[in-house]
Amino acid sequence: MERRDFIATLGAAAAASAVPLRAAAASPESGRITLLHTNDTHSHIEPFGPGNGALTGRGGVARRATLIKQLRAAVGTSLLLDAGDTFQGTPYFNLYKGRLDYRLMRMMGYHATTLGNHDFDNGVDMLVAAMESMEAMNHPNAPFAFINCNFDFKGAPHLEKRMRPYMVREFPGVKVGITGVGVAFAGLVSPQNHVGVTWRDPYESLKPVVKHLRETEKVDLVVLLSHLGYQMDGAYDDLRLPAHVSGVDAIIGGHTHTFMDVPVRVPQALGETIIFQVGFGGVNLGRMDFAVTHGGVRASGGTSIPVES
Amino acid sequence: MRSLFIVPLLATLLAAQAPPKVKAGLVQSIPVNGSIPDDPAMATYLAPYAAKIKASFGQPLVKAPLGLFRGRPGEENLLGYWVADTMRAAAAKSIGMPVAFAFTNSGGLRANLRRGQLKVEDIYEVMPFENEVVILELTGAEVIQVIREGLLHRGGEPCSGVLVKVAGTAEKPLLTVTWADGKPIDPAATVRVATTDYLYTGGDSIPTLKKGRNLVRTGLTLRQVLLDRCAALAKAGKELLPPAPGRYLVPPEIREAIREKKVRL
Repeated sequence: MERRDFIATLGAAAAASAVPLRAAAASPESGRITLLHTNDTHSHIEPFGPGNGALTGRGGVARRATLIKQLRAAVGTSLLLDAGDTFQGTPYFNLYKGRLDYRLMRMMGYHATTLGNHDFDNGVDMLVAAMESMEAMNHPNAPFAFINCNFDFKGAPHLEKRMRPYMVREFPGVKVGITGVGVAFAGLVSPQNHVGVTWRDPYESLKPVVKHLRETEKVDLVVLLSHLGYQMDGAYDDLRLPAHVSGVDAIIGGHTHTFMDVPVRVPQALGETIIFQVGFGGVNLGRMDFAVTHGGVRASGGTSIPVES
Repeated sequence: MRSLFIVPLLATLLAAQAPPKVKAGLVQSIPVNGSIPDDPAMATYLAPYAAKIKASFGQPLVKAPLGLFRGRPGEENLLGYWVADTMRAAAAKSIGMPVAFAFTNSGGLRANLRRGQLKVEDIYEVMPFENEVVILELTGAEVIQVIREGLLHRGGEPCSGVLVKVAGTAEKPLLTVTWADGKPIDPAATVRVATTDYLYTGGDSIPTLKKGRNLVRTGLTLRQVLLDRCAALAKAGKELLPPAPGRYLVPPEIREAIREKKVRL
């Protein structure tokens, strides 16, 4: 994995965001948005200690908070998102039961996350208690959203009322739809830890949600927080998803702790899905910039809308 | 909205409302490293939480002069052997009866134990989960099947009480399992087996463990058992040393074929 100097990275980022998209940003019919994201932070609140190989000295929530502030000041419109597995991995989780993790996420200004398998490690009631602790804190940032469309929460009403299948955020020139999917419990989460929550086919669950976001909410950009994993043995993963579900512009992935320096682009019926994942433990912060231009004159039947670089 | 354009008539009607063009710009993974200063407000907020962690988790536990490591692919998981041995001994002690076999999953051991003085937090990093040690009964044939499933699923999972040997070729492998003293396993005999509630309830895909009968929940987390063992060693003035290798003897070509899922055992 490449280790880049932070200052150089910020400099390059500022240059890249200023030059190629300026024309689009000038039009009132156009908008830009930056997605900042993490996945599988696993209670790594402090930087990785010695003995962790290339990860030693990396990560740390207090640094991530600084980086997020700096980037937000530089990029304009942004969303801060996470792909799940916030819990489990250090004594911080054992002592603070995920409550501290979620409170810190609110302090950093996260807008939304989804649920990974490890977020169920202490059972549904402890997960709800961590959510409540985050909601109850006195902080100027709003509580963030928990998004998933393929778990049936009917048997767990306290969790159900905190979950939503999707979220829509509108900014000048950009309307964004965010949804989420989670990995199957079988073999990963003990039955007693997901009482009342049932996993359903993520592809079939996503289809109507993406359709609703595109056709009813008329969002410009569909973002999926996925805890399916980048590439798995079974039928469900981020790489296979675009062949089954069209219309997702960006997948913020998790579960497989995949370190990606560049995104993977997968063609789908309505264009292209960009898949990205940034390792684990908060050692990286992902950034994806999008520009949206409205009022194009082409509307030929059935053509795809390219999601290009 | 996009799918509306599949219908030519609608496409014509909605021609004025062309879909938005989405264009991805910069996409990058930004390292979070020491060149980024701590956010002062966050650091202040975290300080008391970190102090409490340090007070409880920074306690010295036992010296491990050689460390205990999970091993690279192809090497034996000595840390896993120690965990399985410790689990078997604790299970036997908790019911006051012998436990012949213990089995755990390498995926559940989340860190190595580094050389030197171990602290409480090191055991938490190895075993962060709240998994409980459980005891169940299996036949000798089922014990061998559990080992086979672990071999096929993960190349051989940490266990205690047995010796596992795969001979022959990748095309025709021959699995032999004996008790640790070399005595044969009677396939029909019932023995007590220690594992975790996670594996017993289907975690990590070892289906034969689910067949376990007469389940005993020990009420002990696997982590507590490991912590207790370390504390007992330190109290006795001993060091924590890795168990001897040699529990799994699998030739490299068969190991590779297992990894590629080309082997039937």
